[in-house]
Amino acid sequence: MTAYSIDLYRDVVGDPVVDQLRRLGERLQDVRIVHVNSTREGGGVAEILNWMVPLMNDLGLNATWEVIEGNGDFFTVTKSIHNGLQGYPVTLHKKDWDVYEAVNNNNIERLAPLLGDADVVIIHDPQPAALLKHMARRRGMWIWRAHIDISRPHHPVWKALKPFVQEFDAGIFSLNSFAQVLPHEQFIIAPSIDPLSEKNMPLDKKFISGVAREFNLDQTRPLIVQISRFDRFKDPIGVIEAYRMVRRVNPVQLVLAGSGATDDPEGKEIFDEVMEAADNDPDIHVLLLPPDAHRQINALQRLADIVIQKSTKEGFGLTVTEGLWKGKPVIGGDVGGIRLQVISHYTGYLVNSPEGAAHRIRYLLHHRAKMREMGKTAREFVRENFLLTRQIREYLTLFLYLLKDRGHSVFV
Amino acid sequence: MNDGTMPFYIKDCTLLTKMSGLSPAFDMRDLRDRIALCRPAVIYHHFCETPLAPTFDYPDFRNDFAVWVKRQLEDNVLAERLGMIDPYQFKSLEDLRAFTLDIIDERLCESYVMSSVPPGHEFYFQEAITMVFETGHVMHHPGEMLEIMALLTNSSIYYHFLEARRRTPGLTDDFSLWMENFGGEWESLVKTLRTIDFIFYSLPELKQELLYVLQQNKGDA
Repeated sequence: MTAYSIDLYRDVVGDPVVDQLRRLGERLQDVRIVHVNSTREGGGVAEILNWMVPLMNDLGLNATWEVIEGNGDFFTVTKSIHNGLQGYPVTLHKKDWDVYEAVNNNNIERLAPLLGDADVVIIHDPQPAALLKHMARRRGMWIWRAHIDISRPHHPVWKALKPFVQEFDAGIFSLNSFAQVLPHEQFIIAPSIDPLSEKNMPLDKKFISGVAREFNLDQTRPLIVQISRFDRFKDPIGVIEAYRMVRRVNPVQLVLAGSGATDDPEGKEIFDEVMEAADNDPDIHVLLLPPDAHRQINALQRLADIVIQKSTKEGFGLTVTEGLWKGKPVIGGDVGGIRLQVISHYTGYLVNSPEGAAHRIRYLLHHRAKMREMGKTAREFVRENFLLTRQIREYLTLFLYLLKDRGHSVFV
Repeated sequence: MNDGTMPFYIKDCTLLTKMSGLSPAFDMRDLRDRIALCRPAVIYHHFCETPLAPTFDYPDFRNDFAVWVKRQLEDNVLAERLGMIDPYQFKSLEDLRAFTLDIIDERLCESYVMSSVPPGHEFYFQEAITMVFETGHVMHHPGEMLEIMALLTNSSIYYHFLEARRRTPGLTDDFSLWMENFGGEWESLVKTLRTIDFIFYSLPELKQELLYVLQQNKGDA
């Protein structure tokens, strides 16, 4: 985990924003917060926790991050739960749910003392959601933080998971459309990016050119980049289809880059499908990068003329935020959190098919001035709404609300 | 006249959005029925708290209902009518609710076909929790306002200039209300602050306008 101070962000967001966080932090000194998820690296949740936990500590809270331990069977089941919640028709048997509960129960033996004494426990996503059921004693507030798009879940999966989730004291969703009928309050907090992380920090031109050479990218020709896990909902095959349609009229290059995550056993299978679809085209660069290749990903996004995220389901899409922050127009699937970020004609275009993506890529490549204007709008839009300072502020507000007297206007 | 015992304590606020518990609206009729039923906090959120929520700034319309009607229902007439509502002109949220319902009812009478949106484009009714806290900044005299203003967050501006209209006796902002206590010398600045057409400003723009007005006043003085 990185250890840095919120004061480092003053140059990016301004003094008033950082001072405000310090003042909120003063009211939460030594409050014990425990985040629990299922992987230390790979994917958006781990990335968020990697900066959120040290920054909460810097603001005076006592925050820790725990990762549940599971075996291959467990992660196969939880990946199916993940897919089911996003609407994919998976079948989960009783023995699968038994594996899910057993692994959560095994983890509780190790985590119970820490979780039992915490003021606030935040359980991220479905993998550790069954921990609460096995807690014999707890004193704090438990929050279920869903990062994925569960707006239209496969019903049997949601029906089986709901009894675990409804016992929480509150829920957090990235978008209002993801919220479900549950007996507790449901808050809306969009994720965010760290502008100073290796993935988003400014890079010098020499390093960026070095990455272009490393991956055999021709800097004289247009480049389209999609960064994401090799996951069917990211629709990498659809991106290749769009690329082929553009390629008929423009010598464009495509990068599909991502890393594996320890809680995603499907990644290899999807990667193989993508390699087959790429069919040895020398201008399709399918890159399986190590989880710590943040600077390379940063450079690839900066090398791109257009960033694409053609997901068919998406919780939020931090790679969209990253692309916008680097001043790139983003062509995104018209789903989930992408809709919150890609505002057609302003920051990019929302599309519903490979044809739509191809159409918008061609349009933008013909209108360079429009691309530059969109990129400028995109960066300021992220600065105002989707940097980590906003997300921390909302979390601190939630803690104050949950731990103090409740009401619509609360004076603290 | 101020007797020297009324300092202005600058406050700040943060907003946390939560679901209202109401079903989403897919068409104009749904929108009307939910607005009629919802808690006043929901009306207030969608009319007044939009500038504080993470959202793209649509300069055309300043409330969530008008933006949704324009972008999703594609009813430009209703969007324009809703978009021109100034929520701060109403003495109560119930008056604002009644006025909004009247506009939608009028449009329902005019419409022969009612369009609806597919799943994924519906309107979700939300409300917010506002957490208010002291910033530590204090003004003892209006002459200090220009310097202090530059230090304020957008949400502090929101609290003292917009949200104030919900709780002050004359439905006005905190700054000019406090300034009234300092006598005739500040009358013209009080008037200028109260004539700012703030509805079409984003919060950063409003801050710039306040700084400009204070700067001009300093220059005149």
